[in-house]
Parts: sequence; C-alpha cells; structure tokens
Amino acid sequence: MKNIKFTLNGKTVKLEVRDNETLLHTLRERLDVKSVKEGCSIGECGVCTVLIDNEPHCSCLTLASKVDGHDVKTVEFLGSEEALHPLQEAFIRAGAVQCGYCTPGMLLSAYSLLLRTKDPTDDEIREAISGNLCRCTGYIQIIEAVKDVAGISECKG
Amino acid sequence: MLPEFQSVRAKTKAEALSAVSTLEHVKIIAGGTDLMVRMRRGELCTHIVDISGLSEIRGIETNGPMIVVGAGATHRDVSMSRIINENVPSLSRACGQVGSPQIRNMGTIGGNLVNASPAADSLAPLLIHDASLILESEGGTREERLEDFIVRPYETSIRDDEMLSFIHIKPLKGYREGYKRVTKRATWSISRLSVAWAIKEEGGCYMDVKIAVGSCTPMPFRAKEVEQFLVGRNIEEGVIREAGKMIVDEIRRITGERPSFVYKLPVLKGILHEVLRG
Ligand SMILES: Cc1cc2nc3c(=O)[nH]c(=O)nc-3n(C[C@H](O)[C@H](O)[C@H](O)COP(=O)(O)OP(=O)(O)OC[C@H]3O[C@@H](n4cnc5c(N)ncnc54)[C@H](O)[C@@H]3O)c2cc1C
Repeated sequence: MKNIKFTLNGKTVKLEVRDNETLLHTLRERLDVKSVKEGCSIGECGVCTVLIDNEPHCSCLTLASKVDGHDVKTVEFLGSEEALHPLQEAFIRAGAVQCGYCTPGMLLSAYSLLLRTKDPTDDEIREAISGNLCRCTGYIQIIEAVKDVAGISECKG
Repeated sequence: MLPEFQSVRAKTKAEALSAVSTLEHVKIIAGGTDLMVRMRRGELCTHIVDISGLSEIRGIETNGPMIVVGAGATHRDVSMSRIINENVPSLSRACGQVGSPQIRNMGTIGGNLVNASPAADSLAPLLIHDASLILESEGGTREERLEDFIVRPYETSIRDDEMLSFIHIKPLKGYREGYKRVTKRATWSISRLSVAWAIKEEGGCYMDVKIAVGSCTPMPFRAKEVEQFLVGRNIEEGVIREAGKMIVDEIRRITGERPSFVYKLPVLKGILHEVLRG
C-alpha cells in the first residue's frame, strides 16, 4: 500500500492506494468520479482521459501511486450542471454530444489544448482530440465547438 | 486486472539501481504504455520500480558534439525539444507521430527502445544516427550501440539489474534528413512501414546516404547495401530505381516472403524514390 496526496479538481486528496491500483480505479471506485470511463483498458479509446498537470493521460494505464504530488483534473473541474464551462456550452450548441460516452475525455483534451493555444487551427484541434474516439458525431461538430469557444473562454489551469 | 505486485517509486537514479539489483522478479516501469498493457494480458512480476519521477534521466542536452537524451524523456519531450528538432529532425518527427497525445505524454523513448517492437518509431531515426545507449547498474556503466542492443523482436541485451539511462546521438550536419511512416490510420496505429533517411548531396551526386527501414524485418535495419551502392553515384532515375530494387531484395533475404509484402514493398519503393529524388 502507498499513501498518496494529490490535488483533484483543485482539492487536496489524501488516501492509501494498492501498489497495483490504476488511477482509473481510484477515481471511479474510491472517489466516485464516474465521468472517467473504462473503455478499451489499453490506452486506445481515450474515455479514461484525465489531465495530469494539465496534460491528457490515460488513467487506465497510470498507476495511482504515480500521481502522488501531482495535479489531476477531470471534467468536473470545468463546470457543474448549474454553471457549465463555455467549452461545454459550445459542445451543446454545436451538437457535439450524442451518446455522451466520449464527452468527458474529449472536453479534457480540448481544454488542455486551449490552455496551451488560445486560437488553435483546425489541424491543431484535430491533433489534440486524436486520442479520443467518438463513434457518433464524426468529429465535425466537436471541432466546430472547440473553434467556437477558442479565444473567448477564460481557460485557466 | 493487473497482477499483484509491490512497487517502489524511485526518487533518484541510485535508488532505482539499488532496487533493481536487490528485488526479485523486478521490472522497471516508465510511462507504462507497453508494460501496463502486457501485464493486463497476463505478464507477471512481483516488483515494479517506477522511474517516472527521475528528473535525472529526463533531460535533453548537448554535450560537445553529442546530443544526450535521457531515457525518461517522453515522446512529447523529444518531439517538442528544440535541440532534437534542429539536430535530429527524423527523431523529432518520429516521436511526434507516436500513438496519440495521451500516449506521447506518457510513453518514453527509453521504454520504446527496451520494449524493442519491430514497429517502434524511435528506432529507425536512431539507427541512421548510429546512436548508442548508456546502461547503468550498481556494478557499473556500459555503453552499447543500438544496433547491437536489440537481439530479436522484443528482446534486448539489457540485464534485470540494469537501467537504460541515456541515449547518445551524433547529429548529421549537412544532410537532409526525415522520417515517414505508413499506418492504417493516423492515430493509435503502429507503423506498418517506416523509413528514416539522411542524405548528403553535392553536384548532383550522392556523397553519403543513411537509410533505415522499420516494420518490414524482425527489427528495424540499416539498408547498408543500398547505402554503399548510392555513394558517389549520380542522382538519376536509373540509379534510384536500382536502389529500390536492392532494398526490396535485401528485405526479402532477411525476412523471407510475407503476405503483407505485396502491399508493403511497392509502397517502400515509392517512398524511397521520393526520398532519393529529394
Ligand atoms: C494506444 C497505444 C499506441 C501506441 N502507439 C505507438 C506508436 O505509434 N509507435 C510506437 O513506437 N509505439 C507505440 N506504442 C507503444 C509505447 O507507447 C511505446 O513503446 C513507448 O515508448 C513505451 O514507453 P513507456 O515509457 O510507456 O514504457 P513502459 O511500458 O514503462 O516500459 C516498456 C518496457 O521497457 C522497460 N523500460 C522502460 N524504461 C526503461 C529504462 N529506462 N531502463 C530499463 N528498462 C526500461 C520496461 O521494464 C518494459 O519492459 C503505443 C502504445 C499504446 C498503448
């Protein structure tokens, strides 16, 4: 077992994790963050995406002990049901959400891009979300949503 | 499910080396993008030494004429590095195309080399640069050429008590250099075919040529017969066509016939043609 301490969506979390526990398991089963999904479990689909120090990572391939001392963000960081983030609003406006399974990971990858690049090109957007599979939208609406919000959102790490 | 294991998070290189020399059934984990997948498929070990927090082996620096890349540098670190972009552009391109943003943030160049997949993207660029690897253990340090390090697919000469700490790369000044890979789709797919090249030309003539091909042979290889053939020859259609024929023959000799070769080898010839014409 390992005692770890990290920030999750701005709050300090301290807990004991098993040595072979994945961050995905810790988040879903122990901290009740169900927006982070389990998909392929081998790093291909992107539904388990979380931001570690503001960069997208696959939580299914990350041992929980690795985030000791780091910053972890899930989609809950962006906004709540009552107060959505402009990026989330843009997703709704553009019809970028259909079944919704990929959405939390997709939002995080897009958010991470906007933190780095205020006004990304289409290619930069495509590149940034290329690790998140969406089987509903065909990506066009997602790219539109990110473009729509680029420059206007007050993205802060 | 992952197997049961105990982990050590090494804070220094010395701590990591001590752990790998004393613990039983021990594996190093860096980004985990190969090892976690293998463990999910049933690969066992009882101890894990996590080196992802070792800043000592993550830097990318110049040291005299040499570029020194820490084995713990991620594909993102490598592809974003100005030093690599200016001095080893083929490696910059290769690491920038690995997997997805998530995989590039996690996966390291050291893990790519020690995992030694025939499709590992960093291999062909490092082969044309005659890279060598620094392997450390409590007993001492040794240097081995990358070409000798990989013994067969997924197998290297690294011992259980050793850690790959640095990669030494010589820049190729005055060459035009690049990397191209062919995949089924742009993201997530492993390379079905890859080519790294560095070519020095003068007065319509090849002065020196370095070509490495990945995913066609059990491990990426330097096409030395073709390289030697080209040196001193004119840059002209007949020579380029002959080089394409030679490389295909060389691959067939190493690998034998493969069903995929019907598709792969004509594509390889096409890429080589483009590359040699410039
Ligand atoms: C979805 C997905 C897509 C991928 N796409 C690509 C791709 O396009 N191209 C490509 O080349 N690869 C790809 N890979 C494979 C993988 O990401 C790379 O090989 C990566 O570089 C492995 O690095 P790592 O740090 O994650 O290795 P780990 O999984 O941590 O380790 C891999 C192996 O190397 C050993 N090891 C690691 N570091 C050291 C060290 N410093 N000293 C000694 N031993 C060490 C480990 O013990 C283990 O055996 C992909 C993987 C996934 C999951």
